[in-house]
Amino acid sequence: MRFFVTIIIIAVLSAIAEYFLPWWTIAIVACGVSMFMRMKGWASFLAGFLAIGFFWFGAVLFRDIPNNHILSQRMALVFGINDYGVLLSVVSFLGALIGGLSAWAGALLMNSRAVKVITKKGAIKS
Amino acid sequence: MRRVAGIFILIFTAGLVWVLDNPLAKLPSLGAKIDPSGKIPAIGKLLDPVNGCWANAEPVNKDFNEQLILPTLKSSATLSFDDRLIPHIHAGNDHDVYFLEGYVHAYFRLWQMDMESRAAGGRVSEVIGAKGLDFDRRQRRKGMVYAAENSLKAMEADPRTKLMMDAYTEGVNAYIAKLKYADLPLEYKLMGFAPEPWTNIKSALMLKYMADDLTGHTDDIALTYLKEALSPDQFRMLYPATISGSMPVIPEGTLFDSASLKRPAAPLDTISAKLLTNKDFTESRPDGKGSNNWAVSGRKTMSGAAILCNDPHLGLNLPSLWYELQLQSPGMNTYGVSLPGAPGIIIGFTDSVSWGVTNNYRDVKDFYLLKRVEGTTDKYWLDGQPTAFTKREERIHVKGQPDFVDVVSYSIQGPVMYDESYPAPGGLKKPLAMCWMAHRSTNELLAIYLMNRAKDYPSFVDGILNFQCPAQNMVYADRAGNIAIWGQGQFVNKWKDQGRYIMDGATKATMWGDLIPMRENPHVFNPAQGYVTSANQCVTDSTYPYWYNGDFVELRAWRLNDMLSNMNKATVQDMFALQNDTYSLLASNVLPYMLKHLPATLDEREQKYAAKLKKWNYQLSATSASASVFQLWWFFLYNDIWSGLNKVPERLFPLPERTMQLVQTTDSELAVVPQLKNFDYLAKRSFRQAMDSMATAEKNGGADWYKVKNTSITHLTKIPAFSYDKLKIGGWGNTVNAAKGDHGPSWRMVVQMGKEIEAYGVYPGGQSGNPGSKYYADFIPSWASGKYYKLLFLPNETSTRNSDIKYTWTAHQ
Repeated sequence: MRFFVTIIIIAVLSAIAEYFLPWWTIAIVACGVSMFMRMKGWASFLAGFLAIGFFWFGAVLFRDIPNNHILSQRMALVFGINDYGVLLSVVSFLGALIGGLSAWAGALLMNSRAVKVITKKGAIKS
Repeated sequence: MRRVAGIFILIFTAGLVWVLDNPLAKLPSLGAKIDPSGKIPAIGKLLDPVNGCWANAEPVNKDFNEQLILPTLKSSATLSFDDRLIPHIHAGNDHDVYFLEGYVHAYFRLWQMDMESRAAGGRVSEVIGAKGLDFDRRQRRKGMVYAAENSLKAMEADPRTKLMMDAYTEGVNAYIAKLKYADLPLEYKLMGFAPEPWTNIKSALMLKYMADDLTGHTDDIALTYLKEALSPDQFRMLYPATISGSMPVIPEGTLFDSASLKRPAAPLDTISAKLLTNKDFTESRPDGKGSNNWAVSGRKTMSGAAILCNDPHLGLNLPSLWYELQLQSPGMNTYGVSLPGAPGIIIGFTDSVSWGVTNNYRDVKDFYLLKRVEGTTDKYWLDGQPTAFTKREERIHVKGQPDFVDVVSYSIQGPVMYDESYPAPGGLKKPLAMCWMAHRSTNELLAIYLMNRAKDYPSFVDGILNFQCPAQNMVYADRAGNIAIWGQGQFVNKWKDQGRYIMDGATKATMWGDLIPMRENPHVFNPAQGYVTSANQCVTDSTYPYWYNGDFVELRAWRLNDMLSNMNKATVQDMFALQNDTYSLLASNVLPYMLKHLPATLDEREQKYAAKLKKWNYQLSATSASASVFQLWWFFLYNDIWSGLNKVPERLFPLPERTMQLVQTTDSELAVVPQLKNFDYLAKRSFRQAMDSMATAEKNGGADWYKVKNTSITHLTKIPAFSYDKLKIGGWGNTVNAAKGDHGPSWRMVVQMGKEIEAYGVYPGGQSGNPGSKYYADFIPSWASGKYYKLLFLPNETSTRNSDIKYTWTAHQ
């Protein structure tokens, strides 16, 4: 449950952030939310990856479909790709990767502090 | 451990973000495709789905209706867009109409205007880096900014044109002020810069850009070389001042008023010293002529109304050079094409008159060889007196590098364009000053202002007399049935051969003298022949009292005169056909001679092509293979002939029409051109060369003429994904439909000036400059196939209840 909530929060907050701020604020949002939500390990990466991946893919489709792919076809050719679908996937993957890595970094940093505190007490062995 | 991993990933991610947020310099192969500066733009910023390039993906069914709040408008106004997205601007006063023209130009074409005005003023390096420096330097040394500043003074001195420019600039800036990064045209995102405020000087630069495109080239330096390199007989024969049989713009036999100025006597001093020893001419002779216009009087039309036609030929680019629109304010109702970056309509019609232009190639740019005072850099000899140059600092900002400063010297004649640090074509490393009409303080905008309001012939003429440079053959037709044509521009009363060659700059005696009064420019009103036409040919016969020279071509004019003189009961459809005419007069004149000199033995394939050529109708139609064979054969033959005359650099070969005339006389008196004695050998050899090229063409996609010639419309950044090539269109420079590689009919217009004005037009592009819009290039298929759109010419009233109107902008204060 927390996993899905995290995805939604990252996606929504990064959409809001990106509307007003530079595109890379998605990294800060993913990192921050991951920390706040106390995500762990691969789940954090996956949450960030899926959240930004879905957001970017959705946002690109939102522009591309009403445009009949005029722009995406041209931009794909600009990058030497013949298929606009590949470009859309690459774009979404780039966003997803940054989202995933940022969320993962957030999780590791947060957990490392938490883990330290707990091991001092000797209660839980990490 | 986790902390270390976390920090590591954080740094890695930050690094990735940084890489994606910055232009990459090191991938020139891909970068060159994306951005002229050779860098990969900031990928993350560019591909960001919210604000990046995706924001330029315009929905194909976008609702363009808008309510605009523009506080500086004087009253409310409307822009009604038809289904091709042509705006019909209806405003209550002149300020508002030009304000809205600026606004709508910026809305659809901002990047283009910005880039072209930068190019005009030599400011390309600011955005593309050191790659643009040579270009910028050349623009500055030509005096482009100096010219624009001079004209701006004249334009701002006249209250009408000042209002026009100020309002236009305000409108452009009102649009720019609203832009966020997401709204920027795509090219800004690709190239990584942002628009700056528009200014009047930018509009002035745009007009000078046209002047440079149309009058910037001159053969003075080349002819000086050739005159020395060839014998006088050869020179006269190959480079005649007027081609025999020329059918001038002003029909032969037209009576000219006697000249109010006496032709000056030529001073004694000419430049006799061997100036040019090097034949390394790198400056190409621009192969850019192709414009046609004509008007047919009602006597020769089916409807009884005069018909006016124009297809100015220019470089084919996207976004298109032209933007189509209608302008209405009290006292003005005009439709046609405008130049994004400048107010008014350049070619079109009002509710009473119509006009069109072709370039008038009279020479208005001359060079002077200066003699510097020995041991100095800042003085030159003038009538025996050491005279100081005026210096103008040209500071060029170069992206990513320190500024480049070029100090250009100005002599009494004009800017010293070439010197030791910037050699002239031909390798002449001596100071050459340039005297150019475009440097003068001229106000072409006033001509536009008045033409856009012309009611009849006298008011039209009053307008065009303000059009000084670039000189244009202005054709006219009105609803009263009159037709006329003017060879209009500001010219100098010259002695014979003044300025045809480099002149001696050490004396004032060689300087330009009096200006020819404008009313004495060659013109004709309702000539007996019932039509007028121009196609960049010589302007007058030898009875015109003033002397001039120029870079004229004749082939299309011969064809047009032939067609128009035989035309009766002409319809607009006949005019469409004539604008799209691909009949090659060159082919019909030279091919019979060439076919007499086929190789003695032909293989099967050669026989096949030769047989086809013998039956060919001389049409350079798009899918004709014979057209390809002829053009290739002629290309090789022409080059083989003139490269044999080894003193003539490739770029300076005699004109095709002159070559044609010489070929037609091969059997008789050609002692002065020895190569033509070898015509038989050259024709045979070039036929084989053509056959080799045909074989290559067949292997590479086909021998159809349109594939062989490859007419392309290239985006200004040269990005292939935003460009179109191999367009299925016939013709070449020797046909009326002069669609060449990157040059062709930039706007085809046919206007029947009846009780109701019936107008048609098409240009190779689309109204939107956005490669992500469906309106970006939507006219190209119609243009290539010779189809026209009927133009919606609305009456000058407020009602927008018209079923042809698709979207409306309502603008309020």
